[in-house]
Amino acid sequence: MTDITSAETAVSITVDGKKVTAKPGELLIDACERNGTYIPRFCHHSRMQPVGMCRMCLVEIDTGRGPALQPSCMIECSNEMVVDTQSKKTIKAQEGVLEFLLINHPLDCPICDKGGECPLQDQTMAFGPGESRFIEEKRTYRKPIPVNENVFLDRERCVLCDRCTRFADQVAGDSLIHFIDRGNKTQVNTYPDQPFSSYFSGNTVQICPVGALTAAPFRFKARPWDLTEVESTSTFDSVGNRISVQESRDRVLRFTGVDSDSVNWGWLTDKERFIFEAYSNENRLSGPLTTNEVAEGSQKHAVATSWSEAYEKFVKAINETTPERIAVIGGSRLTNEAQYIWSKIAKGIIGTDNVDAQLDDGFSPEVLLSLNPSTIDKTCKPGGVIILLGADPKEELGALYLRLRHAILQDQCKLIELTPTKTGLSQLATHSIRVPPGKTLEAVKALSGEPSELEDDILKELTKVQKIIKNNDSISVLLGRTSLAETSSIVEEGAIKLQEYLPKASFLPLLRRGNINGAIDMGLSPGLLPGRCDLEEGSDKLQNYWPTCPTHKGFKTKEMFEAATDGQIDVLILLAADPIMDFPDSQLVQEALDRIETVIAVDIFATDSVLQADIVLAAATATEIEGSFTNLEGRISPIRKSVTPPGTARPDWMIALDLVQYLVPNLGPSTFKELCEEISLVSGIHKDFDFSKVEQIDKEGVVLNRGKNKTQTSLIKIPKQKANSFRLVVTRSMYDKGVLSAHSSALKGLAPGSRIKANPKDMEKLGITSDSTVRLIGLKGEIQTRLTPDPETTRGTIHALWNQDGPDIRKLIDSSLPVNDLKIEKI
Amino acid sequence: MSYLKGFLVTFRQIFQKRVTTPYPSQKRAKPERLHGRHVLGRYEDGMEKCIGCELCAGVCPANCIYVRGADNPIENPVSPGERYGFVYEINYLRCIHCDLCVEACPTGAITESKMFEFSFTNRNDAIYTREELLVDSESGKPKQLPWEDWREGEDLNTSGWLRATSPNGDASYEGQIAWSGDLGYGIRKAEIGQSDTETLEEEQ
Ligand code: SF4
Ligand code: SF4
Ligand code: SF4
Ligand code: FES
Repeated sequence: MTDITSAETAVSITVDGKKVTAKPGELLIDACERNGTYIPRFCHHSRMQPVGMCRMCLVEIDTGRGPALQPSCMIECSNEMVVDTQSKKTIKAQEGVLEFLLINHPLDCPICDKGGECPLQDQTMAFGPGESRFIEEKRTYRKPIPVNENVFLDRERCVLCDRCTRFADQVAGDSLIHFIDRGNKTQVNTYPDQPFSSYFSGNTVQICPVGALTAAPFRFKARPWDLTEVESTSTFDSVGNRISVQESRDRVLRFTGVDSDSVNWGWLTDKERFIFEAYSNENRLSGPLTTNEVAEGSQKHAVATSWSEAYEKFVKAINETTPERIAVIGGSRLTNEAQYIWSKIAKGIIGTDNVDAQLDDGFSPEVLLSLNPSTIDKTCKPGGVIILLGADPKEELGALYLRLRHAILQDQCKLIELTPTKTGLSQLATHSIRVPPGKTLEAVKALSGEPSELEDDILKELTKVQKIIKNNDSISVLLGRTSLAETSSIVEEGAIKLQEYLPKASFLPLLRRGNINGAIDMGLSPGLLPGRCDLEEGSDKLQNYWPTCPTHKGFKTKEMFEAATDGQIDVLILLAADPIMDFPDSQLVQEALDRIETVIAVDIFATDSVLQADIVLAAATATEIEGSFTNLEGRISPIRKSVTPPGTARPDWMIALDLVQYLVPNLGPSTFKELCEEISLVSGIHKDFDFSKVEQIDKEGVVLNRGKNKTQTSLIKIPKQKANSFRLVVTRSMYDKGVLSAHSSALKGLAPGSRIKANPKDMEKLGITSDSTVRLIGLKGEIQTRLTPDPETTRGTIHALWNQDGPDIRKLIDSSLPVNDLKIEKI
Repeated sequence: MSYLKGFLVTFRQIFQKRVTTPYPSQKRAKPERLHGRHVLGRYEDGMEKCIGCELCAGVCPANCIYVRGADNPIENPVSPGERYGFVYEINYLRCIHCDLCVEACPTGAITESKMFEFSFTNRNDAIYTREELLVDSESGKPKQLPWEDWREGEDLNTSGWLRATSPNGDASYEGQIAWSGDLGYGIRKAEIGQSDTETLEEEQ
């Protein structure tokens, strides 16, 4: 951003007789607001291009040729500009505009969802004529029409400000709503029979300056004046979007985005916006459960129990076995504080290092810690180059996608895609290169000028990329999983090679799961201790606080399940993890769970995995706890409590603190404050951070300086793909069968369903059409399905979506293989 | 002897006109602007007037109204328009009968009857629900609940006083007070000042 204090660039203007400075190129309406003079507006929105649709912002501007009424949202400040926002002419113009707007606007404020927080109401009160002269009949339309599943449009309330349509077009890139008709009949509408299917449609409800757009989950639920709001962080994905949580009568009714410069700019995906419905779902776990011991041999049957009994059973299960036979999986839903205390229970009290917050769908933390850290702002630096190594930001981290989109379209960033599948950003990429699955390292090798075994046309494109990279010194790499059906090492190796080749490049890991970055920082990973240090360097610092500390690196999630099937694990603790649903190799998980003696689950819903647990501890969720969140940049921001948890469910940190007392009486910490202090004392990267004051952090959060470790990795060998086999690529989509979406009525029906895609040329060769049923055969299992021809799918691959209704793609995944190649058989 | 003076006072009163009423066997007429327990009105066709807008709940200084709106069922609408009062509760342990809710209501749905003679043995019973507050759909008169002491004719007075500045007030009556045109009492002309109880009694 330009420094406004620097004398050469600053522009001096006079507003209502007061001299103020503006940034060069700044719009007058923004400059005035920054200096304390509010000019009314409807269409102007600081995150979108000005259009001058509504004329509400007319003020008298004199640029040397005499004062004239001009829309201040369209005028850039220029030196010596004189502005009068209070002149008779200005006031008359503003009153006139409002009177015109109200000609067609119905006076149904009492039933309008916006009433009470409506810019049109507020500005009519503040700038309007005070009395209506309009006695004629108003224009009417059919009352709300749905523009998609969750958004309703009341056309007679619309003031044609162009905000929603501009958002759809400029920000989200889904221009599916437009103005139609002309003159008095102008209205916003969708194309015939084509809904406004956008992952971001809820934002239009938030920015509509009247009640024309309303969201189904909030419709008629409450009025703005009986909402109490707290500013919190969305824990749904790892971007950590700032949100305002709005509650009435102990029930969360709405999430809205908070405009944070460095994170989400006020935008949210619909999934994050409407996910709150799941939190107040009546199927939430409301107290601890344990399995009925009487039913020996028969089906497990959960019964309610007391907390103390559940804790005692927990301790008994732990004491009956040895540390290395205990495993802990999950923890990315927890707050930083809860993660630390669980890390202490697992590693410092029980003494096991079999702890992993990732379900084999992320990256090895050692690799992540060895890469140059980056932030969203750094990645989106104007003019920079962004290299996408995997994952589709649009499907996995929606708010980040909007930031990237803006960087590419408005800030001249260049996007290079090296992914096996097309992503939501492919259209905007300078080079969108389809690297065959498993060949990421080869592509990076080719980039750095080394010999590589890729095909010629890809190599040719990569030479062009080389030139772009050479001429740019701001290079950021987005690091995500290309496919859930292959090992993470494929991308990891590419990233390490890329770092060697471009030592200045910085890396943003696209781990998707909520607070996964906090979990890694707090040591919920094999071989790591709080503060991102390994078992050796960390143990000294911890010895005053932790009774014990593991000495050998433990298992990763995948290894834990493999060990469990060999009977090496007795107790499995699931921290809000649902491996049956989320772990790529579902058969392995089921075999493992069947052999494990005691499964303990801490969760908010009875997920498939929780149903198999022997002890279930009911936890509170993000709107019910105080704590903090670490996003993918290492930015810490507060999570605030808004409502009380159902029944006797408690915050994860409270459950963990209780368990500490049950395991080792009188071991600290015993209060939340002591817990906060202990983290700062033992964790090097948090030493200057005060967790007990986290609610005082502003909406930008605080980015931790997490440093960087030395690189270490072992090369794996990717088998060559056999002729006539098809490599399986599994990617995530925004909506799936996830447990939260399933419990939210707004999101439930949005999953696209399984569509297994293949290249039409491949299909032709095999003699199959979209109507023929085929058998897909993996090493461990097979499914029957139809294939959808899709020319975008790379030849020789099969592309499927993760976790959808329809044939279970996980049957084809064997996680012990680096890649999964399939055979296709016609039936 | 002076104690006889006292008896004299008592003695004299025996022959005076009696000013007390043997309440509750007999009731005095209530002032027509008395603020009693509320009623939720209906239109002539039986539709509820309340649209669940929560303005009454927002204005209530005692915070005793709980309203939740909901989408009107299209087949069988409860009120005209899109939205109706789905939950409506007033807590009479808190209500101070200030009638600000009556003035705030944009549809004239909520008004007060003159009924103050009700009591409870349980705090929960003090919360009147929507069903209890709604006037009868046939007669338009308040429901007479078992714990309330209603007498003949008392259910006629359910209209509210409105100022010219309230949503249903009439601008031409600035400075004057008008009745809401409500079922049960009918429309009356605006008037200034309150007729005192005595003339009222005499009129009856
Ligand atoms: S629907 Fe709302 S945001 Fe869209 S043009 Fe109309 S008033 Fe503006
Ligand atoms: S009369 Fe006053 S205190 Fe009673 S419900 Fe109405 S606004 Fe509230
Ligand atoms: S009684 Fe009147 S003010 Fe109260 S919710 Fe119903 S319509 Fe609104
Ligand atoms: S805000 Fe300037 S024209 Fe709308």
